[in-house]
Amino acid sequence: MQRISRREFVKRTAVTGAAFTSFPALLAACGESTGANKVSKLVVAAVQGNEDGPLKKVVGNYKSQTGIEVQIVEFPYDSLFSKLVTTFQANDSSYDLCMMDDPWMPKFGTMGALQPLDSNFGFTRDSDIPTVVYDVGTWPPPHGPVPPTEQSKAKHLYGITIVGNVEMFMYRSDKSSAPNSWDDVLKNAAKYNAANFYGYVIRGKATNPVSSDSLPILWSFGGNVFDDSWKVQLDSADSITAVDFLTRKLKQYAEPGAANFDAAERSQAMATGKAYQSTVWPGEITGIVEDPSVSQVKGKVAYIPIPQGPSGKGLGMMGNWLLGIPKGSKNGPAAADFIKWMLKADNMRNYVAQGGIPIRKSILNDASLAAANPYFKALAASFDAGPNWRPRTDQWGAVETSYGTAMNAAVAGQLTPQAAMQQAASQIRATMKGAGYPS
Amino acid sequence: MSRLVAELPAPTGTQPAGTGRRRWSRQERLAYTILLPALGTVFVIVTIPFVLAIWQSITADDGSLVGLRNYTRALSNPLFYDALRATGLYALIVLPTEILLGLGFALLVHRAVKRAGLRATLYVLAVLPLVVPPVAVGVVARLIYAPGYGVLNYVLQSVGITHSEIQWLSDPLLAMGSVASVDIWQWTPFVYLVLFAGLQTVPKESVEAAQVDGATWWTQFRYIELYYLRPLFLLILFFRMADVLRVFDHVFILTGGGPGTATQLLSLYIYRVEFRFFDGGQAAALAVLVLVAISILYSLVTRALPLERA
Repeated sequence: MQRISRREFVKRTAVTGAAFTSFPALLAACGESTGANKVSKLVVAAVQGNEDGPLKKVVGNYKSQTGIEVQIVEFPYDSLFSKLVTTFQANDSSYDLCMMDDPWMPKFGTMGALQPLDSNFGFTRDSDIPTVVYDVGTWPPPHGPVPPTEQSKAKHLYGITIVGNVEMFMYRSDKSSAPNSWDDVLKNAAKYNAANFYGYVIRGKATNPVSSDSLPILWSFGGNVFDDSWKVQLDSADSITAVDFLTRKLKQYAEPGAANFDAAERSQAMATGKAYQSTVWPGEITGIVEDPSVSQVKGKVAYIPIPQGPSGKGLGMMGNWLLGIPKGSKNGPAAADFIKWMLKADNMRNYVAQGGIPIRKSILNDASLAAANPYFKALAASFDAGPNWRPRTDQWGAVETSYGTAMNAAVAGQLTPQAAMQQAASQIRATMKGAGYPS
Repeated sequence: MSRLVAELPAPTGTQPAGTGRRRWSRQERLAYTILLPALGTVFVIVTIPFVLAIWQSITADDGSLVGLRNYTRALSNPLFYDALRATGLYALIVLPTEILLGLGFALLVHRAVKRAGLRATLYVLAVLPLVVPPVAVGVVARLIYAPGYGVLNYVLQSVGITHSEIQWLSDPLLAMGSVASVDIWQWTPFVYLVLFAGLQTVPKESVEAAQVDGATWWTQFRYIELYYLRPLFLLILFFRMADVLRVFDHVFILTGGGPGTATQLLSLYIYRVEFRFFDGGQAAALAVLVLVAISILYSLVTRALPLERA
């Protein structure tokens, strides 16, 4: 082997190192020179599961129509959120589009992480799409309390819903008629509860699951997490009554182990004919309860908006998945074109055929689609009723964790409803005070 | 480093006379040059993040210095003590169980299994749990313990041991036992492999002499084998304690930290402080506190179980 001098060794090492380190930059430069005018690929950060399944199925059509490949990069729910936050913090250009759960909008809006769709790309409201769908993608929020730091910001549309999720209610329609109120729900739970058949199913797993499951009940009973001036309301009489209703009254007819039930267990219990009623997300309906390959109750379950509570209202909860364009994306116009393509009625019908959950009223109310999608009518009615969204604060992650942990303890019987709500309220007050909200 | 240099051939270059500072020899420079990439890598992936974590722990979101405020906030949060209690209980369950089971298996195989083929098979079986991703372990464990469709309840009811579902993941104590059982399943083989390897280093002459003198299996273990295993216990304890502080995946999948905060271990708590509360300062303070705690623990364990054999 030929000997080389130390100086030569160092020189060669330096040259090799420089070549390696500059290689990605050279590649990027090549990409820019060839693709600055014509985008050949869009990268979407998506949530893995029922939510992005139909999207994956329709992007092939987009490529055949436009020549642009849409690459879906999937992450589990929690990972997607943290991945997006760190991506946005670095203003990274890895993703041209991102799927976002609607409670993430305040965080991303506050961070200024997204490109405005209205002012930058000419998005306007379509009368065939419910107003609330646009509202949920708007920041700062067009109604309800606005975080103190965001009050002076101009409102812009940052996200468009592609999964029209609203929490609804399901019950075994082969056994009884629809409940009108939570009192009816309780009566039916007592009536149909039997050995190995649960009168009600609580999705009680800690943090997000139990939070999502209980908020519609909390609201329908007149309770709330915050009032319009961000004062915590969880330890109010109405809130505690609602929590007592769920964790004591309904729980006596609920499944054992409710404190560890998540959506998968709930859907499984319904689909195998072991449960009478529960709240439900559209994804559970298409994915399990109405899937003939796994469900024993297809055609025996009906879907309705959230029943009324003592407040006189039945308030469902939005859980829309939106598409937004990260500020770091270098392909904003192409990404916006893809969103517009997704919103076209014909493309949305195809999306529905692949299991997608639509947002267009004309599709939700289309009688020809009702048989295959028995929840569309209830979903349209839920949109019309003006479902609540989770409080629009960038602190929602912390609030939900505190509330969902205390609720889980109440479902497990570790804490009384009152103690649980006092604990949650106390923690949330400290969090909000630390974040500069009025205490 | 000094030993490496000492073992290298004597320098051929000339030493400059009359200078107070000795110049590095060619071999020394070569040694440092070779080490530089490794040290640089360690610096980039360990030292820089550590320094950044310390910096983050004493600053606010806007970068202004806040002294020890993040530490006082972390230490005054009752959830931190819940997480500490849960982690302590978890460690108290998994560490002794894994060590006793691993030691038992190692002794059993060492003494009873003489066929090389069988030993190799057991070795492969022991390695398998270690290479399964923790997320996959968590998912499988959920299928075993889940309410409603969990395999364990199904089996117990099928054979008539129980007549109703046991709430493995909803009762605080059972939930802790369930998440601990997953750790025990995955990491007992690690203890077994390390101790079994240690047992192979015990000189046969010593064991045979003891047997000639009529030593029982216990005295053989107590006075000969244990002597050789002591430094390995230190290794195991250190690695496993560090792992316990990092446990996340299967706990997150099985219980999400519930019921209440019964299984919210430190790692899960810190994750939530960072990624749910977005309180980077407090999360960094917690991470530094954990690092200090494990350093103290390591020091205590080192004193209790000296590495030297002689």
